[in-house]
Amino acid sequence: MIDKLAKFFKPIASLKLTIICLACALVLITVGTLDQVNIGIFEAQNRYFKSFFLYFPLPGTDLKIPWFFGGYTIGGILLINLIAAHVARFKFTWKKAGIVVLHSGLILLLIGQLLTSLFQVESQMRLDQGEARNYSESFYHDELAIIDTSAPDSDQVISIPDSKLRKGNRVNLPLDSLEVALGDYYPNSALINPSQLPSPDYPHLKLGPMAVAVPVAKTYKQDERNMPAASVSVFQNGKSVGAWNLAGGFPKPITFQAGGKSYQIVLRPKRYYKPFFVRLDEFRHDRYAGTDIAKNFSSRVRLIDQNKHQDRESLIFMNHPLRYAGLTFYQAGFDNNDHTTILQVVKNPSWLIPYVSCALMALGMIVQFGMHLTSFVRRRVIA
Amino acid sequence: MITHFCALSRCAAHAPVGKSFRIAAALACRPANLALAVLLLSSCDQSKIQVYRIPKENVQVAMESGSSAIVPPPPSAPVKWTKPEGWEEQPLSEMRQGSFRASGPNGKTADISVVSFPGDAGGVESNVNRWRSQVQLPPLAGEAMGGAVQHLTANGKDALLVDVQTPNGAGKPARILGAILQTADRSWFVKMTGDPDFLESQKTRFLEFVQSFEFENTPPVAWEDGAPNTVKSTNDKQ
Repeated sequence: MIDKLAKFFKPIASLKLTIICLACALVLITVGTLDQVNIGIFEAQNRYFKSFFLYFPLPGTDLKIPWFFGGYTIGGILLINLIAAHVARFKFTWKKAGIVVLHSGLILLLIGQLLTSLFQVESQMRLDQGEARNYSESFYHDELAIIDTSAPDSDQVISIPDSKLRKGNRVNLPLDSLEVALGDYYPNSALINPSQLPSPDYPHLKLGPMAVAVPVAKTYKQDERNMPAASVSVFQNGKSVGAWNLAGGFPKPITFQAGGKSYQIVLRPKRYYKPFFVRLDEFRHDRYAGTDIAKNFSSRVRLIDQNKHQDRESLIFMNHPLRYAGLTFYQAGFDNNDHTTILQVVKNPSWLIPYVSCALMALGMIVQFGMHLTSFVRRRVIA
Repeated sequence: MITHFCALSRCAAHAPVGKSFRIAAALACRPANLALAVLLLSSCDQSKIQVYRIPKENVQVAMESGSSAIVPPPPSAPVKWTKPEGWEEQPLSEMRQGSFRASGPNGKTADISVVSFPGDAGGVESNVNRWRSQVQLPPLAGEAMGGAVQHLTANGKDALLVDVQTPNGAGKPARILGAILQTADRSWFVKMTGDPDFLESQKTRFLEFVQSFEFENTPPVAWEDGAPNTVKSTNDKQ
């Protein structure tokens, strides 16, 4: 049985394949890192590392041609190659125990990285002093939210992700036979005064007497956010309920009635609601005496989880995040002349795997080098 | 294989979140399907329409200890003002955060609006010139612009005041009293339009109204400080 397995895995256990994959990884990392200057870290990660192939768009068409392997392909082949090498050449001896432990750490690291890239969700919680929130917002993704506000104590939210927001797209909603039809959609827009339009025919969405949204190129800068704008029509049972122009830079919900119920519609950063509130009690931006050099940033927050009867204070500062309910809150930024804190909220169910895999690799190296050292010392003693 | 994958995708696309976890878990039992299951799970979050229930934003959250209660403040109302006597509140629109009407003798009225935009909303110059164009005045630039705006310093706030009216000989006489206030992340525009003589009688009330503005948590920024703040990372060099 083991022989059969070894025969099957031998071709994919080739060391040449390992070298080719490592060389491809070298090229990918170099190109991806260089392109990060143009497209920012988030887009570079998606295009180069969280993809199976790199694509070249054919000018003038919607066609894209794959021209190189992406991170998932290279990492996946490396992982299979490494596992196959162990299966094909597996002969356990105590002399090689360290190498087996080290490689199992490496396999776990690769799997952990895959799980992190698939399941990790990062968002930001922006809190003014004294403000409490039970949601964080995505820095990269938006949503078209339709909120049924007719219940007295709670709202029902239908969140349409930005991947479905395309010109001409119609989306059936799983509630009250509602349907949303999209007219123009700008992934990034700027709000200007109508008098600033280059010509009346220039593409724009009218938001009101004083503001229109015009399409602008998507931004990839780390500290800038894309502000989408969309022309949206809502239907119920095929009958028009209303049509509005919405802009992310103008995130005040619009209220409408349909079928005797009251709804709101808003285009906003994607929200991740939590079953608890976080309130900012104090943000501190300490400086070294007599200078403007930052010494410390910290947020004193209060965490209130009524379901779990939690009500406690926590201080978030450099290397001291707040961990709660599978989420980690890091101090990430500040705004409003130090009156607003920005917390990075990270949900990563596989956060422990890198620690375990690094420990395994360290253990493997200690065992392997330790064995070499002891046999070397023994030989010297005998000599 | 392709049919298999499509069937799974359809299945997962129509299953509620809990169900898709069960499907994925069942699939994961067969090692060949493990990778597929992982990919299916990962695609659930970002590309699916989600329906969920949340407590109303203005619901009070009682603290576990003590008698104090916290109320998540409504993000859409970070400002307070005092309405002058004699002004009637008007229905708000999509753009207006505040809307009033002042009525005088002989059926004369003035319309007062409060609107706000993120950032500097195109800058002082373009906004003042927009008001000027509404009363048929030519645009100004540079030093001439400096002479056309006055600084208001009352209650520790810094605001710009603009008073423009149609030139002599223009069709229907009109006047605009406008004020621009800057908070850390937004620009606020208070505007009164109407008959020039009637606006003169309302000017004191208008100034009192502007001076009554109180911004919650976002103190107004002095104009001398330049552009409004941008978000800063704690990793930035200070």
